[in-house]
Amino acid sequence: MIGLRTVTKAESDVAATDLLDKPSGLWRTAWKRLLRRRGGVVGLCIIGFIFLVAILAPLIAPYEPTRDFIGEGDRTRRDPPCVHLLGCDDEKPQHLMGLDGNARDQFSRIVYGARVSLWVGFTTVLVAFTIGSTLGAISGYWGGWADNVIMRVMDVVLGFPALLLAIGIVAALGPGLRNTLLAIAIVSIPAYARVMRASVLSIKELDYVAASRALGGSRFQILRTRVVPNALTPLVVIGTLGIATAILDAAAFGFLGLGAQPPTAEWGSMLADERNQIFSAPHLVFFPGLAIVITVLGFNLLGDGLRDALDPALNE
Amino acid sequence: MRTDRRLVRLLAVLWALALVAAACGGDDDEGTTAEEDADTTETSEAAETDSTEETVAEGGDFAGQSVTAPDCEYGGKISSIEATAEFEVTFTMCSPVPAFRQIAAFTPFGIQPEEHLEATGGAPLDNPIGTGPFVLTEWNRGEQIVYSANPDYWGEGAAYDTLVFRWATEGAARLLELQSGTVDQITNLSPDDFETVQGDSNLTFLPVANPNTLYLAMTAQLDAFGDSPGGDTVFADPLVREAIALGIDRQRIVDNFYPEGSEVASHFTPCSIPNGCEGEAWYDFDPDRAKELLAEAGFPDGFETQIFYRDVFRGYLPEPGVVAVEFQTQLKENLNIDAEVVVMESGEFIDESTNGRLDGLYLLGWGADYPHVTNFLDFHFSKSNPQFGEPHPEIYELLEQGSQIAEDAAAADIYAQANDAIRELIPMVPIAHGASASATLATVENGHFRPFGAPLFHRVNPGKETFVFMQNAEPISLYCTDETDGESLAACQQVVEPLLGYAIDSGAVEPRLATECTGNEDATVWTCALREGVTFHDGSSFDANDVVASWAAGIDAQNPLHIGNTGAFEYYSYLWDALINGES
Amino acid sequence: MLSFIIRRLLLAVPVVIGILIVTFFLARLIPGDPCRSIIGEKATAEACEAFERNKGLDRPLPVQLGIYMRDIVQGDFGDSIRFSRPVSQIMAERLPMTIELATTALLIAIVVGVGLGVASAMRHNSAVDIGSMTLANIGVSMPVFWLGLMLIWLFAATLGWLPPSGRLTAGVSSTPFYVAWGWDPGEEGTFRFLTFEFLSNHVIGNSIVVGEWEVLWDAIKHLILPAVALSTIPMAIIARITRSSLLDVLGREYVRTARAKGAANRRVVVRHGLRNALLPVVTIIGLQMGALLSGAVLTETIFGLAGVGTMLFEAITARDFPVIQGFVVIIALSYVVLNLIVDISYAYLDPRIRLQ
Repeated sequence: MIGLRTVTKAESDVAATDLLDKPSGLWRTAWKRLLRRRGGVVGLCIIGFIFLVAILAPLIAPYEPTRDFIGEGDRTRRDPPCVHLLGCDDEKPQHLMGLDGNARDQFSRIVYGARVSLWVGFTTVLVAFTIGSTLGAISGYWGGWADNVIMRVMDVVLGFPALLLAIGIVAALGPGLRNTLLAIAIVSIPAYARVMRASVLSIKELDYVAASRALGGSRFQILRTRVVPNALTPLVVIGTLGIATAILDAAAFGFLGLGAQPPTAEWGSMLADERNQIFSAPHLVFFPGLAIVITVLGFNLLGDGLRDALDPALNE
Repeated sequence: MRTDRRLVRLLAVLWALALVAAACGGDDDEGTTAEEDADTTETSEAAETDSTEETVAEGGDFAGQSVTAPDCEYGGKISSIEATAEFEVTFTMCSPVPAFRQIAAFTPFGIQPEEHLEATGGAPLDNPIGTGPFVLTEWNRGEQIVYSANPDYWGEGAAYDTLVFRWATEGAARLLELQSGTVDQITNLSPDDFETVQGDSNLTFLPVANPNTLYLAMTAQLDAFGDSPGGDTVFADPLVREAIALGIDRQRIVDNFYPEGSEVASHFTPCSIPNGCEGEAWYDFDPDRAKELLAEAGFPDGFETQIFYRDVFRGYLPEPGVVAVEFQTQLKENLNIDAEVVVMESGEFIDESTNGRLDGLYLLGWGADYPHVTNFLDFHFSKSNPQFGEPHPEIYELLEQGSQIAEDAAAADIYAQANDAIRELIPMVPIAHGASASATLATVENGHFRPFGAPLFHRVNPGKETFVFMQNAEPISLYCTDETDGESLAACQQVVEPLLGYAIDSGAVEPRLATECTGNEDATVWTCALREGVTFHDGSSFDANDVVASWAAGIDAQNPLHIGNTGAFEYYSYLWDALINGES
Repeated sequence: MLSFIIRRLLLAVPVVIGILIVTFFLARLIPGDPCRSIIGEKATAEACEAFERNKGLDRPLPVQLGIYMRDIVQGDFGDSIRFSRPVSQIMAERLPMTIELATTALLIAIVVGVGLGVASAMRHNSAVDIGSMTLANIGVSMPVFWLGLMLIWLFAATLGWLPPSGRLTAGVSSTPFYVAWGWDPGEEGTFRFLTFEFLSNHVIGNSIVVGEWEVLWDAIKHLILPAVALSTIPMAIIARITRSSLLDVLGREYVRTARAKGAANRRVVVRHGLRNALLPVVTIIGLQMGALLSGAVLTETIFGLAGVGTMLFEAITARDFPVIQGFVVIIALSYVVLNLIVDISYAYLDPRIRLQ
């Protein structure tokens, strides 16, 4: 949410107008440019890696994420990691990242947690993107009364400190991953709406749009075929960065006890559940956090890369 | 321009709405009159009279005050509290109250000067005055509370000058502060830190024996006392309940999820409470028999249900989430019951569970308020508790008998029968009595944590001038007559004292402002002889009228000093069953 | 320009009213009631009836809303249900902590962020550049609470250099300036008293003004870790924006011209580059202030600081409606003001925006 909020109306206006003269091979050239940027490539690799982990989770994880080892062998809850390669006694059972509070294998839970985090990130952004850009497009294109109402509602949502509004929504709806997603999505909508509106505003007055209308195209058709595709580019950038923010926010919710419910393996809740054990079992706080950092980093790098690739004006 | 005019119109409409709303909201009496009419019943006709009277007792100039209930139908235990002499107070009960002394030793029944209560309008929320071993110096909101030793304390005062209360919500933070020596004692050690503290020679490990019980509840009839009762659930069948009782390996839960010192519950009430463990012990773990019973009940392949809990730390349940998942695992493995784990928000959870509206199993527990078996059994198995469905007369009739018997030993047989009835009917499954622990620096002499009440800090010796205590949270206010949270009670207790108090290492009751409280043969009249020559922190002298004034402010709903913080005076309402002159 | 400002201010009013109404209903939508949350799980029905009567919670909702709006217009935020104290008093006690935390974090973010950004831009594509941008990227990707916990583990538990939580060490307190100077703060509850209380609760400022250097050092030691944790994300963002903005400006023709004319590199950067490059940075800084208030909630929880964030979170848990409403409104007002300032400054800079 922090990343999204820094895009003001003004900034996005500037961004939108700079895009106007793109040829239709926009995406192809952008892709090539993205691959040339170090950061973007690293980001892509990280995300690709996380995706692979999520998809191949059953193969990578040595155990079920919900399987507990209470009373089995020489194990106690919250055991530190034991990696045979790194010198751990061969007789002790191997747990790459140790055992958590219910004596479950943390490594497996982290691997399966990738699925949850990716799902959280994409769903939140998808919902916010769809609702937000629709509202923004309507607002920008029709203007007048609709524009005012929609933008005032967006202002009210933006006026709240994001985390608090989301906490309020989740508190009212009840804890759980789905409600958390909804809350984060609701709070993110204004950013997409604003950007879409700004793009639409800048574009709709242009000659080629007027020309299309003169030639008989309906408002809606123009919106769909001319305006929206050009407005999409800043939205894609924001969307990618938004996934990063959504994963962070979901983790924050897990931390506050409002996110994923047991026994779901979600990185933020895993962190939250064990935060009082920071001194006695730091591995249970360190690894989930690290997983979050790496994933979010990947999306941030990709988002930055996309932004630079699509907007040469902001480049060096 | 067109947009601007529309905007102005819209704004005008909004302002008009706001003004109308504000104007309508101006009449403060609007909402309550209808309710007042609806609530009139027989007991409130005495409401207009001020029930605190002055009577001149024998022995001359002392004008003793009293507070009296209009009759004994109002639903509460107290009939009257009277200052029968300058240093004597008599409590008359409507029905036998064998646990009077144990209840009266509780911090909310602390005594403050009558004049001070009047001067603060019945709400000395941040400036209590008492007779205790410490005087309140300063409350730095959000940071700390500072006390100084009372030089004129009637008993043996503190060996040091300054007591400081601090707080931190994170257990890890508290331990770290203790280890770095910035605080001298902390509460609520996290179970994983027990070993750390025990192994550290600079720290002293203090096991806390507060009796508590965790139970797995089963709602047999939904919303039994509600407007639209939901009827029987799958748990209405006694075979299902017995199957679950036999199908949980309670020892495994205690061994793996509870700190050292915790025990499997042999009865609902911990054995340290007199009459708590009379009667047969609970069933042993027997998964095969459990499966048989479940099949007999018609569920050979188990069934689906939910297990509800709230994510709140308590002595009886230090790690709620983790334990809930463990129950889920055990139910599945032992009985093939699929229980979905549902975490609920605390307030909602309490509301739903206490009214018996949760369709499934739930995890809840009980921490003792006062050291008597009635505190455990009567709350949960009385005829007015819908928590587990319809209450069982086989249990509550016995409990009603037991609560009339003054002597513990004489009641043993009745409680044996009651415990056996509970074991037979299985309204819930008692799981564990959770141990908790606190810790002090090794340099602190006589560091302790009482099973009932907060530590008596004037009895410790830190070996320096200041003693710092760190608890879980900041007190809400320092007027404990109207507070319920442990953090407030601990802070008040240093300044304000009740008539009696709890011993340093057990639930035994000791004198404080009363040298002795004796009951008559059937525990309906309790007479307390007060300590003479005691002064409050403001210099005024303590006498029986202060006792009556302090109690009246809490128990009498029509008393002008019945103000407080919440205005509800929960512990008076709860422990004495009802307030005098309350609206019922 | 003036009409733009007035228009925006007028538009802000219904927004704040909207926020107030949404908060009012949202808070009451949370299941569970204040009575059980505050008095506890053993609350009797009689106790809850008395409680709700005393706190005015048994009235119909529109009446409660009306009373509240009427009071707010007169500047009365009501009394906390939990503490029976004025919300404004609680705010005066809590806000300074959050302000100190956010301001310190912002200062760190600006100093380090701009420094890194300038260094990276001037040594474009060097190790310094790549290194700091990588760090910045990682910084933006870290959950604040995780970073906080790791910092506590490293500096407080393992190294023992800094305290793990709290604002001051036990027993240490700063003498309020009005006490030290013999000024009369006035009656409790008056605006004058509130203002004095609010100002003196800024412990760092207060101890400087009064000259209590021990207290100052203690307060700074406690503030370092939370401020660093909170500053990480804004620092990273500021570093990136500074770098890209400065690079952008350095590539411009007038700078090249200045260089061609032979001016020393450093002078060129400072005179022509930095001044222009800093405009977008300043805007971002303004926006980060708002984000910091939001991030403060998590930081305060971990470090046990008694600020607005922890109080608001407790109030939500306890259903203390007046506190929730009051705090949210005040925070929202500051957001509105900040957004307004940012938009005004943008309109000032870019005439295209003004005409919309």
